[in-house]
Amino acid sequence: MKFLTALKTALGLAPGCEEVNEFLADYVEGTLEEKTMAQFEEHMDMCKCCNHYMDQYRRTIDMTKEAEEVVIPTELAEHTLSFLRENKVFSQDENAP
Amino acid sequence: MKPSKKANSAGPGAIPDSGDMVTSTADGAEEAISLEALMAGDESAFEQLVVQESPRLFRVIVRIVGDDDEAQSILQETFLQAYQRMNTFRRESKLTTWLYAIGINLARASLRKSRRLSSLEDQEVERMQPAFNRGMFVETPAIWDPARVTEFSDRQQLVRKGIEQLPEDYKTVVILRDMEEYSTDEVARMLGISSGAVRVRLHRARGALRKLLDPHMRRLPKS
Repeated sequence: MKFLTALKTALGLAPGCEEVNEFLADYVEGTLEEKTMAQFEEHMDMCKCCNHYMDQYRRTIDMTKEAEEVVIPTELAEHTLSFLRENKVFSQDENAP
Repeated sequence: MKPSKKANSAGPGAIPDSGDMVTSTADGAEEAISLEALMAGDESAFEQLVVQESPRLFRVIVRIVGDDDEAQSILQETFLQAYQRMNTFRRESKLTTWLYAIGINLARASLRKSRRLSSLEDQEVERMQPAFNRGMFVETPAIWDPARVTEFSDRQQLVRKGIEQLPEDYKTVVILRDMEEYSTDEVARMLGISSGAVRVRLHRARGALRKLLDPHMRRLPKS
């Protein structure tokens, strides 16, 4: 698919919906090459389907980034250090000066 | 405004290319954890590493396994293995990347062992991608109506349930890339796969999640 897109770009041919979809992640992140980006934006200007799909794709990413906060257990590091001492990873006593 | 997920309760910290790790002390001064000291088995340096990385590593692990107690056990085992295997760290990546790779592998092994498998198979994820005919969408994607799910907590629950259904490989990249916001290259190193493979899995995972969210988000027909 990427070879076909590269070939079409080199020939100045516009990408179709399937090619736009394959590169959507790069497009959303702005990491497409300049020439390819211009062609994709030209397709987006004309294609209702791709616009709807991209809207859904972006919203999916945004909703994922809104994930529930993880509550960090209290004394997490201390419990881990105690575990390591119990398993004789550390030689010193935690109360040693 | 929701606080940034990039905030690390152990301090903002930045890891220079030299491989030395940096943490912030309470008064704002920066103190480096010496990589040399860690690799020499310096216990004090390793304790600093535990304090610095426990919150964020726990967050990654608990998102994978979905259980606080299990995540704590895995976190402890991660640091135990890291200490025991410190002499095998080859400096081909940042130490934190290596550490997180140990934790992620243990978390994934725990998922497989407890048979808490996702409800979707890999082939189903592929079938959930949009269908094309002669390069064009077979079906016009629906318009999503933000008014369908307005409660923030409802949206979070929808996404959480969707992510829980993803197969392990897809779930992990979504957690690391979209939730924890690691770079593609860092995710690739943590998972031991290529950056290209990360991009493909992430794209497929997002496509599958979109499909799962679609029935709840699409604009309802006018009655």
